[in-house]
Amino acid sequence: MQYGFAIDQRTCIGCHACTVACKTEHEVPLGQFRTWVKYVDSGSFPDTTRSFGVMRCNHCTDAPCVKICPTQALFKREDGIVDFDNDRCIGCKSCMQACPYDAIYIDADTHTAAKCNMCAHRVDEGLEPACVVVCPTHSIWVGDLDDPTSGIARLVATEETTVRSPEQGTGPNVFYLGADRAVLDPLAAPVDDTYLWARPDAQRLAIQDDVDRDHVTGARTTLNTAHPRPWGWKVVTYLWTKGVGAGALALALLAHLMGVELGALGDRVAPALGLFGAATTGALLVWDLKRPERFLFIFLKSNWTSWLVLGAYVLSAFSGGAILWALAAELDVGWAMTTLAWLGIPVSALMAGYTAFLFGQAEGRDLWQSPLLFWHLLVQAVMVGSGALAVAGLALDLSDEAWDLLAVSFVVATAAHLLMLALEYAGRHASRQAAVAAHIVARGRYAPLFRLGAVLPAAVALLLGALTWGDVGTVPLAIAGLLVQPALIAYESVFVRAGQDPPLS
Amino acid sequence: MTHPNGARVNPEVNLPGARRHERLRNYPPVEEWDHHVEYDAKAHPRKVPHTYSLIPTICFNCESSCGLLAYVDHEDLSIKKFEGNPAHPGSRGRNCAKGPATINQVHDPERILHPLRRVGERGSGRFEQVSWEEALADIAGRIRAAIVEGRRDEVMYHVGRPGEDGFVERVLQAWGVDGHNSHTNVCSSGGRSGYTHWMGYDRPSPDYANAKTIVLLSSHLETGHYFNPHAQRIMEAKQNGAKVAVLDLRLSNTASHADLWIAPWPGSEAAIFLAVAAYLLRTRRIATDFLRRWVNWEVYLERLHPDAPRDFEVFLDRLTEDYASYTFEFAASVAHVPVEQVERLAAMVADAGTRLATHTWRSAAAGNLGGWQIVRSLFFLNVLTGSVGTEGGTHPNGWDKFIAHFPDMPEANDTWSEMLWPQEYPLTTNEMSILLPHLLKDGRGHLEVYFSRVYNPLWVNPDGFTWIDVLKDESKMGLHVALTPTWSESATFADYVLPMGHASERHDTMSFETHTAKWLAFRQPVTRVAMEQRGIPYRDSRDTNPGEVWEENEFWFELSWQIDPDGSLGIRRYFESQERPGERMTQDEYYEILFSRSVPGLPQAAEAQGLTPLQYMRKYGVFEVAKDLYRLDERPLTDAELADAVPDEHGVLRKPVTLDSQPPLVGEAGAVGVRHEDGTATAGWLSPSRKLELYSTTLADWGWPEQATPGYIESHVSARNIDRDASEFVLMPNFRLPTLIHTRSGNAKYLNEIANTHPLWFNRADAAAMDVHTGDLVRVTTEIGHFVVRAWATEAIRPGVVGLSHHMGRWHQDGHPGSRWVMGKVDLDRSEDGIWRLRYLEGVQPFTSEDPDSERIYWDDPGVHQNLAFPVQPDPVSGMHCWHQKVRIEKARPEDRYGDVEVDVNRSREVYRRWLAMARPGPGPGGLRRPEFLMRHVTPKRSAYVAAGRTADGAAR
Repeated sequence: MQYGFAIDQRTCIGCHACTVACKTEHEVPLGQFRTWVKYVDSGSFPDTTRSFGVMRCNHCTDAPCVKICPTQALFKREDGIVDFDNDRCIGCKSCMQACPYDAIYIDADTHTAAKCNMCAHRVDEGLEPACVVVCPTHSIWVGDLDDPTSGIARLVATEETTVRSPEQGTGPNVFYLGADRAVLDPLAAPVDDTYLWARPDAQRLAIQDDVDRDHVTGARTTLNTAHPRPWGWKVVTYLWTKGVGAGALALALLAHLMGVELGALGDRVAPALGLFGAATTGALLVWDLKRPERFLFIFLKSNWTSWLVLGAYVLSAFSGGAILWALAAELDVGWAMTTLAWLGIPVSALMAGYTAFLFGQAEGRDLWQSPLLFWHLLVQAVMVGSGALAVAGLALDLSDEAWDLLAVSFVVATAAHLLMLALEYAGRHASRQAAVAAHIVARGRYAPLFRLGAVLPAAVALLLGALTWGDVGTVPLAIAGLLVQPALIAYESVFVRAGQDPPLS
Repeated sequence: MTHPNGARVNPEVNLPGARRHERLRNYPPVEEWDHHVEYDAKAHPRKVPHTYSLIPTICFNCESSCGLLAYVDHEDLSIKKFEGNPAHPGSRGRNCAKGPATINQVHDPERILHPLRRVGERGSGRFEQVSWEEALADIAGRIRAAIVEGRRDEVMYHVGRPGEDGFVERVLQAWGVDGHNSHTNVCSSGGRSGYTHWMGYDRPSPDYANAKTIVLLSSHLETGHYFNPHAQRIMEAKQNGAKVAVLDLRLSNTASHADLWIAPWPGSEAAIFLAVAAYLLRTRRIATDFLRRWVNWEVYLERLHPDAPRDFEVFLDRLTEDYASYTFEFAASVAHVPVEQVERLAAMVADAGTRLATHTWRSAAAGNLGGWQIVRSLFFLNVLTGSVGTEGGTHPNGWDKFIAHFPDMPEANDTWSEMLWPQEYPLTTNEMSILLPHLLKDGRGHLEVYFSRVYNPLWVNPDGFTWIDVLKDESKMGLHVALTPTWSESATFADYVLPMGHASERHDTMSFETHTAKWLAFRQPVTRVAMEQRGIPYRDSRDTNPGEVWEENEFWFELSWQIDPDGSLGIRRYFESQERPGERMTQDEYYEILFSRSVPGLPQAAEAQGLTPLQYMRKYGVFEVAKDLYRLDERPLTDAELADAVPDEHGVLRKPVTLDSQPPLVGEAGAVGVRHEDGTATAGWLSPSRKLELYSTTLADWGWPEQATPGYIESHVSARNIDRDASEFVLMPNFRLPTLIHTRSGNAKYLNEIANTHPLWFNRADAAAMDVHTGDLVRVTTEIGHFVVRAWATEAIRPGVVGLSHHMGRWHQDGHPGSRWVMGKVDLDRSEDGIWRLRYLEGVQPFTSEDPDSERIYWDDPGVHQNLAFPVQPDPVSGMHCWHQKVRIEKARPEDRYGDVEVDVNRSREVYRRWLAMARPGPGPGGLRRPEFLMRHVTPKRSAYVAAGRTADGAAR
């Protein structure tokens, strides 16, 4: 059984009754919407046209929000409704990244995720959802798509229908009849400075010039709702702290296996950096939850398909490993160190790179879907980890061998980082959304920060690092190591923001 | 009906809005309505049950009167939400956004909960709480004095959103005052006038659902009369293959669904319709038999072609010749549209046959000088095609509307208020309410008590600063009583602000011509009904509504009682219980009588359910009196109607009347129908001739012979009157948005969050020519002042025209009460010599209240109160305020701020006098102040129609 909606845009008059009926049924806070009407104006006078599109959760067959939700707060019912339980939600917002339809928001009252649940409390009692009941023109149909005799199934079978963003492969179960492509395609109709009776949010206004207009129709969105970026500086920052910690510890482990003596740098500084990285990452993660007091739900109500859960276990394992490493080093238990090193390197790699899998589950963010991302995160970790160790190394009496290891690691990683940036932003993108995001980074409004804040310092650091091979001393490497830290933060800030900038509705 | 086992089985009550999608239904079954269990949406998926009574009422947020079902929680008697009422034949269980938003209004933290009396001078903005008793005693005393002293034109009730048809009218009639004032001439006088001079009836009722071609001059898919019921049927028709043509200066949501969107130069619409009419005539795609029988063609010939033989074929030829000058090319040239558009419209109309549904109400009819002729020209198409009263055609509203009149009516009064019906405008379809402040300033009279009732006159009318001048002047307005659920700009200039109920807090019966059926719906104080169901005692609706909010009916009854406490004025008896003489009539008693005696079929339907008529209405909230009534003009007269009726020379059958007779709401006293040449006697129309008046003798004989037939009047904003080279434009200030309600949606947060900016729609090419970009401030100068607004360069409006929506531009003065969801804070300043200035100090801002949403307000634009800068522009015939403004646009000057308004009220007076001079004053034939057949809400005796110093024969006394 699969409940779904069919929305007949041929008869929809854009009256917003569905929006308001939904809001009164669920007492949705101001500024938040489970369903809303988008307007697009096209053409020029006297051939101007206006199209409407009713936006909402697609109750996907293969719902990415359900997959990513760490606590099974989002779930798919047997009747196909994608429902949610706000008693389980920790407010991590990952579902908002996973949804390619802008359907989910964090309720301002409960601080938990919410969206259209097809009025499941009504459906359970044999009643239609509130939006279906109210619709003046009966343009919203509800029913079982799997039952070929149902009204909705017959409608979908006999009329030409479209869905939103089919390329995301989520199996949307909201079918549109007679919808204008410019309404359903979030990139087809950028805003043109204003809406017709409301003001676009800053994010939509900012991106209007980053999206190519259709020069034939001039399609422009004239009404829509705001969907601010769910993730901000905390996620940016933890991408860095995680990298530093994982990179530093991994290098210490590697040195141990290679027989390079790092001394206190490897025995104390590296595990301390590792722990610091893991702890700040954990703290930032919890801080970023809208219900931080529920953070333990990640472990108590784990959804094993969610990389947020798997990541939390990686984080825990890494932290434990760092402590054990420090202990083993302190007590100088060689076999334990070797064992930990063999185990710790892949854990550190996961620590640095699991975010790629999490971001990969963020189906709504095409920029983050890059196949390079895992490797890029590893490279970044080595870059900032070795850089951090180099800075600390100044205060310690390191062997030449140790410096060489740091220098080689740093130079190779930084070069690889720059190469990957080049590949990422100069190359072609799998989707238009990713291309738009990449454009914003490389040539759009983030380009100054990207070029001057992320690329230039990394390139300078690379040069400085390379110089150290010429025996000019260790200070340049330390300076380089220092330089890449803010450079990476700058890059992550651009990467995280740009990924969330393209509109999904 | 009984079951074979002997148990009683009630026949099923028709629920036209009930629907099933397989196992899902749209409404709980009626059997559950007094104990419906629904699970808490917010606790879901935990199952937290709540038990509700589902009590029908009617939406109060526009005139459509769609059905609502209030969910009243058994636990605390709170109202949870409003859904539609599936029993309602008009709305069929569905609503627009404004229906469910009623819950916001009920729970609005800014609403007025107690009677208030002003402190300090009027307009100080300071109020104190007062008891209902004190307020009533004061108001009743002043009304009684006016009545006793014979100042029966000094009590005025000025209504915005109407309540029950006939309720307050009966109250005013009982008081014997001529005091009913409406908002109509900022609304629909133009529309009404055009329809009235065809058929007496002043409103159309298109049978959209069955139409083949639909022609709309307005945006009925998004606002207006009757948005939700009409939108349902228009879209049904479209799905069945009907074609829709929309004439609108801007791309409305309605126009976006049109097969043909024409954006003509404002005021040229009549030329377009007449070109279509000329096409129908010359191609003879007309309904000849219908025209022969129902159009007053003999009069047409007699008056316009006196030498022609009285022959129908001759008439057709002459008519064709008379309209031949309205070519497609002519129409296209005055309308500034491609000629192909006019041709396409003509083809669509011609193809419709008798299934042509047309509708205009405000828009062009309300925008232009002579707008009423646009209406007359549009309806001409229905007449020519014989699509009047047909299936899929356009009906008069009276066929599809039912007014339940209370059986015990007071005697008609014989007073005539010159403040409502000034002699300059004898043909105005409704009261000249826009002129009230000017008439008072002229010294034509004084008002002892002025009720503004769910009405915001200083905001909604043009020339609001002149209203403020008059509202503040106690020598002109003795007492201003604002009856309102929510703060308005006008209420702060009242002496008493009395809280009235929302849709779920008052009684009204309502009926509107939503489709080819007559229904009567019942608005109820739902908490009270739930309390009654559950045996919880109460005194009156003040005990059951929030705070001390009182339902208006009880208020009027009590006020009437106190005006005449001992019954000596003969007023009290109309408000006395019939069961318990000497005691006050309750609302239950009133409606029991009304429903038992004045609603045909209801007592029987109720009995079939084992209910009293009142119980039936409390349970279902609506009753369908009749449906699918077509061609009632052909209804044969009954013997009772024919008794004593004598035909005049044109066959109009009349019963004898005297000067004491009271004309009906519409139509002439005594007239019952018309006898045709073939000897049949049928009801006909409510026009003086009982026919469709192609030639209106009324217009001719009351001073407008050149406009007696459908014609094209050049608008005050015609293209010739606008100097585009001097940056002149036509401002269209009167279009509405689908989610806002005049100035009454400020208390509905879910509506405000959808529509909350106020851009000036500016054709992109025009804007580019002036180097104006979206978001730029521009100064818009009218004849009496200017305002400052933000531009929106758009392809959604025709060149030469700029548009600024109705609704926005809400303000309160610093320290005055208001609705902070939508109002900005302003500084108001008036110079000694009459220059008013309004400037915003703050926009809309979040505020703290019991509703956490008030701190989440994310909009800040209060809009621009453009109406302040408009002079009164009354159409000399219809009395309609001609909304379109000729304006000059320039980039804002350095001193300009967003929302500024500046007006010279001396200029307002000059413009008033100039438009007044365009009028052709009465009295008319017979010395009458006004033709008797024209609609009046409270008709006085025929004697009152006779101007002072005249007799009904017109001879000087």
